[in-house]
Amino acid sequence: MSKPYTLQELLVIAVAKEIHDHENVILGVGLPTTAGALAKALYAPHATLMMESGIIDFEPLLPLNHIADAHSCRGFSYATDLFSAFTMTYRGFVDVCFLGVGQVDKYGNLNTTCIGDYYKPKMRLPGSGGACDFISYAKRTVLTMLGGEFVERLDYFTSPGYLDGGNSRDQSGLFPVGSGPTMLLTTKGVFRFDPVTKEMYLSQIHPRITVEQVRKDVPWNLKIADDLKESPRPTDEEIDFIRRFAPAMSAGRELAMELTIANLMKQGKGG
Amino acid sequence: MAIENNKVMSVHGAISKFVHDGDELVIGNYTVGTCAELVYEVVRQCRKGLTLYSQSGIFDVEVLVGAGCADKLVSTYVLRAGGKKGGSAVERAMNAGTLQVEDYTNFQYNARLVAGMHGFSYIQVLEGAIATDIFRKRSFMGENKFRIIKCPYTGKDQLTVPAANPDVCIVHVQRADKYGNAQYWGALGSVAAAALASKRIVISCEEIVEHDIIQSSPHLTIIPAYRVDAVCEVPWGANPTEVLGYYNMDQFMYGLFMMMDGTAAGLKTWMDEWVYGCENRVAYIDHYVQKFGSKILDGIRCKPFYSAPANYGSAFTTRWDNDGRERAIGMTLSEFEQTLKERGKLYE
Repeated sequence: MSKPYTLQELLVIAVAKEIHDHENVILGVGLPTTAGALAKALYAPHATLMMESGIIDFEPLLPLNHIADAHSCRGFSYATDLFSAFTMTYRGFVDVCFLGVGQVDKYGNLNTTCIGDYYKPKMRLPGSGGACDFISYAKRTVLTMLGGEFVERLDYFTSPGYLDGGNSRDQSGLFPVGSGPTMLLTTKGVFRFDPVTKEMYLSQIHPRITVEQVRKDVPWNLKIADDLKESPRPTDEEIDFIRRFAPAMSAGRELAMELTIANLMKQGKGG
Repeated sequence: MAIENNKVMSVHGAISKFVHDGDELVIGNYTVGTCAELVYEVVRQCRKGLTLYSQSGIFDVEVLVGAGCADKLVSTYVLRAGGKKGGSAVERAMNAGTLQVEDYTNFQYNARLVAGMHGFSYIQVLEGAIATDIFRKRSFMGENKFRIIKCPYTGKDQLTVPAANPDVCIVHVQRADKYGNAQYWGALGSVAAAALASKRIVISCEEIVEHDIIQSSPHLTIIPAYRVDAVCEVPWGANPTEVLGYYNMDQFMYGLFMMMDGTAAGLKTWMDEWVYGCENRVAYIDHYVQKFGSKILDGIRCKPFYSAPANYGSAFTTRWDNDGRERAIGMTLSEFEQTLKERGKLYE
């Protein structure tokens, strides 16, 4: 039995395993950058890690603060601009990208723009950033939803998943055939998309979580994989890497924030 | 020619002269190296009615919208302080009806400036967005937010956006010379396009360097002098954001801002102290050090990791060799002049 781990560590590993060796990878901030670093260290040493700000082929030394954080790597191989980062995606050179989610529907369409009315929002979320264009043209997209929600109907349609399901995405003629979201990670499990209907189903469940608990978050009749598995227990090697590389990630957002604020207060007083 | 085209100015002078009420103002920086001091000066001078462009409208946009400088915003990404329970100046202003927001994707926003930079009236963007509310839901741009045209070569539908040519760009870079040649490196983002699309350009930099330094590293120059209106030397000019090679992100000051930005009253308190309360960046840093000591700022200064020099050298730098002979013709200058005379080429 490997050493004790945190849920957050398990989530990072689930995402990292979506990166295969020799792939070109667009990383987003937060969990995906740590996952990218873990993949590069343990599973995919020849992956090319890229950020949309034009930082291409970098080796992260620290978890990136944001998508333009060149301070967290000691140099990188190719400095290009944002425009070229997207046109190379449009041309098909990006294998997999990672996006965070505010709302998601059963076909993997995303909202990261607002809750409530767009013009008078109950909550104004960040917006598209790169999301809409990346999920349109990367070969695969991995979705991470840590604070968001499953909905029948998005309050705002920011980024295209499988549209109305079935072959509607491919038929629209707007996207490369076969592209789209391949996985959604939440704090309760891993969801994948049926190859024919494109409806998401629960394919893997995290420890201590029941199927009923997962169903409670989902407003439609969620399908469950016949061979539903429990997320594999992290290895010591994986846990050690994450804990050293990104301790705040191991702690999770709330605890890390609490500890950071406590320390900031101490620094402020101490001078 | 002995004309000194020196564009060095104070931040106060540059903003007074080049940023006007009602302007379309673009923040040149993308996420990093935000031109914080230029933004603060726009706020201190109480500009009104701006149409603000910011690729990632985070810290910069919160301050400008919180101060009531802008009534329109073109962006792709905005900040929310404090998660679900928090809020933002943008959200508050949208609900108060004092701010209209036009949402684009990162690529579409940048493409508008790229079109503007090259003098085109529109540009093709990635058609996948046609399926989304980014295409369908429009604010003050209306019909002109996007238009679909038919490609004359393939016959396919293409999504397009109009060019943007903002009145003025404010932008922070690592270094510049006094003429305005601006050098920037790191995450290139959309910095060059934002500046070059604009009618006027105000630069702040960590340091003003000799023209020689610029000439030996032209690959780092992203904005040429002839396009620049003002250069302001502002060390720590991007704090609390970071400048590659100079200082890291100031998590402490950024954290202070984020803790206050969630409410209108909190943001006002923070701005009263750190924006209105400091007349310039020197006063800001003095106040910072007086209040919190110098340990935090010292702790985020960058250690050197220099770029390998690129050799811009050449085999020779004059047509005349070490023996004073022209390299192709093989003559000395006096032999050459004698020949010109003998051949009847010289006009007496």
